[in-house]
Amino acid sequence: MTRTIDTEVLVIGSGAGGAVTAARLAEAGRSVLVVEEGPWFDPDAHEPSSLEEFTARWRHQGACAALGSPGIAFAEGRCVGGSTEINMGLYHRLPAHFAAEWRRKYGIADFDDATLDRYATDIEKTVTVSFLPGEAPASSAVLEHGADALGWKSTEFARVFAYDDKGHGTKQSMSRTMIPKAVAAGAIIQPDCTVLKLNRSGRRVTGATARLGYADGSSELVTLRADQVFVCGGAIQTPTLLQRSGFRHNIGPGLKFHPTVKVAARFSHPYDHDEVPVHRVTEFDPFLTIGGSASRRGHVALAVADAAPSDLDRVLEEWQNVVVYYAAIRSSGSGRVRALPGLRAPLVTYGLTDSDLSRLARGLVHLGEVLLAAGAVELFPSIAGGPIVRSREDLGQWWTALTRSRSNLMTVHLTSTVRMGDASDLTGTDSYGRVWDTDNLRVNDASLLPDAPGVNPQAAVMMIAARNADAFLST
Amino acid sequence: MLWLERRIVAALAGPDDQRTGGAITEFVDTSFRTMPQHLRAGVVGESILLGAYVRLRRGPNPSPAAIVASMEQWEHHPIGVIRQYARLLSSLVIFPQQEIVDG
Repeated sequence: MTRTIDTEVLVIGSGAGGAVTAARLAEAGRSVLVVEEGPWFDPDAHEPSSLEEFTARWRHQGACAALGSPGIAFAEGRCVGGSTEINMGLYHRLPAHFAAEWRRKYGIADFDDATLDRYATDIEKTVTVSFLPGEAPASSAVLEHGADALGWKSTEFARVFAYDDKGHGTKQSMSRTMIPKAVAAGAIIQPDCTVLKLNRSGRRVTGATARLGYADGSSELVTLRADQVFVCGGAIQTPTLLQRSGFRHNIGPGLKFHPTVKVAARFSHPYDHDEVPVHRVTEFDPFLTIGGSASRRGHVALAVADAAPSDLDRVLEEWQNVVVYYAAIRSSGSGRVRALPGLRAPLVTYGLTDSDLSRLARGLVHLGEVLLAAGAVELFPSIAGGPIVRSREDLGQWWTALTRSRSNLMTVHLTSTVRMGDASDLTGTDSYGRVWDTDNLRVNDASLLPDAPGVNPQAAVMMIAARNADAFLST
Repeated sequence: MLWLERRIVAALAGPDDQRTGGAITEFVDTSFRTMPQHLRAGVVGESILLGAYVRLRRGPNPSPAAIVASMEQWEHHPIGVIRQYARLLSSLVIFPQQEIVDG
């Protein structure tokens, strides 16, 4: 006999979607239980992008990939706060033209600019969206200087960061913002709780069966009984759980990535490495964005080893001179998430199109142009075997070098596996995240975005989650 | 970890791993244990096949230099999954190795 835990609202997952849902519903007086598969850490427990953070907060320690030609590595958070705990904290409202396009194509109700702006403004009050209080670090200004030299547009992106009087910034992840808000309003957060499947009775979901872990390594099977269930596990875990529970209509196809290539740029003098660059080259928006990446010694080594393993020792002697940058594209390809019988992790596949590959090559060349214009002396692309580039004339080699067999791609933006909208032939839920043919099961995370937004999706996820939570409260 | 995986980690990280009490081996081992099972199954299959090949070509106790030479060959191998195998193993070693050096 398993222990039963009762709640009015069960929220599965505590990332940008789940945390906003929990805070919104708890503040409206609902009894809310949030279950999170990963542990609950102090937000300051690990240095960003460090080995310790990979081990503690990243799903599979970051070792996961979508199969395809080429495979694409992807990252997800696995802790209270979800991927907001491991991302860079960049904040970008959903571009209005995408909202309009999605509204038309997928029949999304109440998805007009005024509604979305109202929710975005509301969210921004809680998470503290800000710009750098002073001068940009040199590693970030590189992008601005390079773009200026080429006559291209660039900008500083806002972040969910709060700054103290001395200008020291702290990322406002969910564990610092929405989770405390939910807890203050009475929500219960249960970490180390893996939901195995949802329990159904006709059109209703009665709750879930879960495994609750304890600090001594033991675990307990529990039944979570709820009147309402919100699945907020993100674009990979949410469709996996739904499929495993027997929900299949438009659940899992349509996965969207922002495929990304990287370049390690060596300069003639040391650069800062404490913060991720916040400037972006926006000349080619929305199909191609150029920005900066985490550049700890380990990241620099990985980036250089792709292109020139034999040069690794030489470059690492002055690794402080090297910063890693990226070019990310909006992809015309798509992927799929499939739950595999008997296995915990799903099979994730992604079909990169020829035009995606061409766009990535273009992104790589443009990234190289910016970095050389800003003073980089040597560029190492994420292409197996290089070639290393030292002058603008050499950049043309990257067009032909970036092939399916030699490219090394990754992404941190995963969306669109349970699209929302009233066009039920295209979507997995209605306009507010309610799964088709159910009365009380909702999705409220990045899965709902009908397409990749071309920018960091966290703001869009939070805004949509707040909107859907309010729609639920009004029923 | 399997025989070839241990040999590769030892060859790529040897002195650094010993100096840090096996921290690099532990990171690779944990990555293998926590990675999706279907991906791990593929890696296991390759480790067995490539391990047999290495034993045949270089004997039952290949030197670290011989293992490194094999890895360099595999990184440019015409078969995609063999290239990916070599890249995965070297990435799993390089990241903790450099982070630990930095720390």
